[in-house]
Amino acid sequence: MANTKIDEKLQKIAKDLLESGEVSLIIGYAKGSNPQRMRPVFITKAEEAGKLSFSHYAVQDLAVFLKKPEVKKFGKIGIVVKGCDEKAVNALIQEYQISRDNIKIIGIECNGVIRQNLADKGETGVSESTVYDKCLICEEHIPVLYDFLIESEEPKLALSGNVKPYYGIEKLESMSAEEKNAFWAKEFDKCIKCYACRQACPLCYCSRCIVEKNMPQWIDTNSEETGNAQWNLIRAYHLSGRCIGCGECERACPVNIPLMLINEKMAKDVYNLFGYKSGLDINAKPVFGVFSESDFNDFIK
Amino acid sequence: MEDKDVRKENHTDSKIAGDGSADPRIIAFVCNWCTYSGADLAGTSRMKYSDNVRVIKLPCTGRIDPLFIVEAFKKGAKGVLVSGCHPGDCHYTSGNYHSRRKYATFRDLLGYLGVDLDRVEFSWVSASEGNKWVSIINEFTDKIKSLPGKSTDIFTKK
Repeated sequence: MANTKIDEKLQKIAKDLLESGEVSLIIGYAKGSNPQRMRPVFITKAEEAGKLSFSHYAVQDLAVFLKKPEVKKFGKIGIVVKGCDEKAVNALIQEYQISRDNIKIIGIECNGVIRQNLADKGETGVSESTVYDKCLICEEHIPVLYDFLIESEEPKLALSGNVKPYYGIEKLESMSAEEKNAFWAKEFDKCIKCYACRQACPLCYCSRCIVEKNMPQWIDTNSEETGNAQWNLIRAYHLSGRCIGCGECERACPVNIPLMLINEKMAKDVYNLFGYKSGLDINAKPVFGVFSESDFNDFIK
Repeated sequence: MEDKDVRKENHTDSKIAGDGSADPRIIAFVCNWCTYSGADLAGTSRMKYSDNVRVIKLPCTGRIDPLFIVEAFKKGAKGVLVSGCHPGDCHYTSGNYHSRRKYATFRDLLGYLGVDLDRVEFSWVSASEGNKWVSIINEFTDKIKSLPGKSTDIFTKK
């Protein structure tokens, strides 16, 4: 199961970086106690670099740790990223949350990660039906920005086109307002306001979230229909034009609200309206930080 | 004692909502410099327009957070109007351009989550366009009144 060649390269890069003092912390994946799972690991000493590993079970987006003050205090940080996670690093750089000089990106060519619920049941093969939807639409199998790149030796993910990624979006778009309302009312009804979606998101970095502001209290904090809808709407809105589609919110959701159906829809709309995709260029201005005089105006009287 | 009662009454949701679809309440978030002056002009010119609208004045459309719209719906408003200066006329040079970007996306999100998009309206009304203000309010009120009786959304309590 172990993809030793990749692991060896990874460990060597990490060891060199730590020994030369170029970074003081490396965030990466290690094998979990369950062979079908990978867990995040924080390496500060060169001799510990042997713990690092990577496989198609490495589902988590490690960029989420970059927003934590206890990680930031290390200064120079190395991070192991897949193509999708790397976009989160780019978005954080774009929004001045981290500096490019302080981060060493160890990019890994990834051909898709296996859905965790399937992996837990013993799924071992990467195929169209076992990977996440994000992998099916992935255009960044090789990270767009990296300091070190570890190429994959596995075959590329074969797409037959039979599995439609994010099919729910098309279905919802064709529904009437009442049907959509009924669909989301049912989904949001499950929400228990645990904010796991926010905690798992690499781009939700506000030290004080809007939901915690109570002068005035914009969002009802109790777990009932009004507050749930408000929370999910505002979370999605604050991420529109920023979400890089790593899918961590949906994976973290304990009640399985299809949050990616909202995030992907917003990413699609922002692309259609402003031709902007998040996390692809560290020199691009965030889409809502700029404007154009010829912006879409049709909805305004 | 009396003061307390008045305060309470002003803050009940039913007060804002009106008493049903026959008399729907519309909240208009307007900018100080253009639309508010436009509405003022309509008033001083003694033009008549629908009294379903409640105007809330803010410095700029850029100040109108999408949360305000959500809050209005939550409090039971049937329609929400956001109105500001024409592109290029913003008192703060670019507030309305930024808000236009925000609202293009926010409107999509609202629609996607099942809010009838006939219930949100955006407009540019300048300080000299009292006529335009009157026609926008009247048309919007008619549209809201013609909506099927109980148009619910994810923000209303069942």
